[in-house]
Amino acid sequence: MLPAALALFLLAGLDSSATQVRGLVLGSIRGRVVLRREPPPAGQRPSVSELGAPAAPDAPDRRRSVVYLEEAPRGAFEEPPGARRTMDQRNEAFVPYVLPVLAGTTVDFPNSDSTYHNVFSFSKTKRFDLGRYARGRSKSVRFDRPGVVRVFCDIHSHMSAFILVFAHRYFATTDAEGRYRIDGVPPGSYTVVAWNDGQARQSRPVAMPAAGGVVELDFVVP
Amino acid sequence: MRSRVLCSAVLTLAGAVAPAFAWDPGGLAGGRLRLGGDASFALAAEDNGFFNYTDYEDSVLRVARAGATAELRAGPRLSLLGEVRTDNFSSLRAYALYARLRPWAEREVDVQVGRIPPVFGAFARRRYGADNPLVGLPLAYQYLTSLRADALPASADELAANRGRGWLVRYTSGDPRAAPGLPLAAGLRWDTGAQVRVGSAPLQLSAAVTQGTLSNPRLQDDNDGKQLSARLAWRPAAGLVLGASAARGEYLARTLLASLPAEQAGRVYRQQAWGADAEYSRDYWLVRSEVVWSAWDVPALGTPLLPSPVRAAAVSAEGRYKLAPGLWVAARLDHLGFSRIPATAGPITWDAPVSRVELGGGYAAHRNVLVKAAWQRNRRDGGFVRRQDFAVAQVLLWF
Repeated sequence: MLPAALALFLLAGLDSSATQVRGLVLGSIRGRVVLRREPPPAGQRPSVSELGAPAAPDAPDRRRSVVYLEEAPRGAFEEPPGARRTMDQRNEAFVPYVLPVLAGTTVDFPNSDSTYHNVFSFSKTKRFDLGRYARGRSKSVRFDRPGVVRVFCDIHSHMSAFILVFAHRYFATTDAEGRYRIDGVPPGSYTVVAWNDGQARQSRPVAMPAAGGVVELDFVVP
Repeated sequence: MRSRVLCSAVLTLAGAVAPAFAWDPGGLAGGRLRLGGDASFALAAEDNGFFNYTDYEDSVLRVARAGATAELRAGPRLSLLGEVRTDNFSSLRAYALYARLRPWAEREVDVQVGRIPPVFGAFARRRYGADNPLVGLPLAYQYLTSLRADALPASADELAANRGRGWLVRYTSGDPRAAPGLPLAAGLRWDTGAQVRVGSAPLQLSAAVTQGTLSNPRLQDDNDGKQLSARLAWRPAAGLVLGASAARGEYLARTLLASLPAEQAGRVYRQQAWGADAEYSRDYWLVRSEVVWSAWDVPALGTPLLPSPVRAAAVSAEGRYKLAPGLWVAARLDHLGFSRIPATAGPITWDAPVSRVELGGGYAAHRNVLVKAAWQRNRRDGGFVRRQDFAVAQVLLWF
């Protein structure tokens, strides 16, 4: 299923046309993702073998959602890859907790803690292990395949994060109030998906008028 | 005029699969209740030499084990923690059950009371299975010597006659039934008492008062004596941990002492142990080493007299290297030696020295599922079976 979807994407990508996109008036989709139920606080495994209370790590911000177009318009694949993003390791937490990137992006994983970290992922989208490295050092991974990458630390089992690798650029992360904005959307009908904490929570149709403008689209996730 | 691309089908599919391996243990009761667990199954040929038997009379190379852990945060400074385990689906045991208290919010002082993790050494606090790059355990924490807490040899000759038979040993003084001997330090059983930890990195000091001893942890005291143990841990640099430990406690059971002649019964018989451990890791390497010295006071009942104390020392070194994401190789070298006693036939070690080499590796297809395979070579200078090699495989799941 996954390779088939990837093949579909690759074929369509070859068919894209830059001129058609440039000739259209582009609009924006914006709105808010409201999480009806507070995501449960992330926690450490029971530390039964410790000789005292372990250091309290920072709680990852699991309220952040990613909103994206389920189907990308023609011409969405023209942006040259090669961007860099950062996922920090700070106070035994990955920051940010969820990081959407365009395929071809290189993500840096600096260690800002005084202890070792060991970033790894066994996700099918990207399997990697950066080994143990100390404060002040950074290692990086390039993500070329679209999909979800679940990131962990091999030393601190409570550390986890998501990297969402998109084949197109029509995605956005919500802010602290749940607001998002996707710009540069060509006219047409789309399905917009709100993703939170490991799952596509809700999808809604939206129509971008030929004149462009701003379309409001809110999500209420039960 | 547009083509549609189902690129997000990948995201949807992966998103549906991800939660199965992303269960968060912090999600219950608003984060106040945390659960964890593991299950493992190890398979190897029959251990005819009892090289890998533990004080629960199971071989660590032939065991199905399941465990569940829980931590309830009763307040900002009080937690209740517990772990139950079963081996080969026999009885369920409370491996850990204690309260953790931080009396002062601003100070790095923790107190734990109940069935607590051992202060001594490093290995016994490692998470079973997932934190062990191989399948076997270090000799110091697993191998059963021929010394017992509830029975004693009448002479040096009787002790020498039982060299290499610690898995099931019988003596003429005390409990007449055959039973397993004592390891240097029990790696799979925790003691009961109170423990305090002071300080944070780079220097931490932990000390405990417990009912049993290092080799014989107990839920209830059996001799009115307490064990004092302590460990100093120093982290001079990231990835480097150095530890020094000591323990001292009365180990002979009251029932045994009562059966001894008055002169011997009135004395105190202790196990004293010292330990040193080191761990260094960097990039894809992890190296650990641990040394445990132990001395047990023994009463001299008959000739040839047993010298007191009898001593044992174990040293182990292990390394792990990750070849690829989820794939590693590992090795451990282990030796356990014993002091000499004056038997009639001449001086001889009071138990048979054991050497072990274990080579292996593992693969994690998913974060929570590990498969390990190892080859273990055992050599012993005594006993019915003096050499035995094993090929062992283990599957481990944890959450």
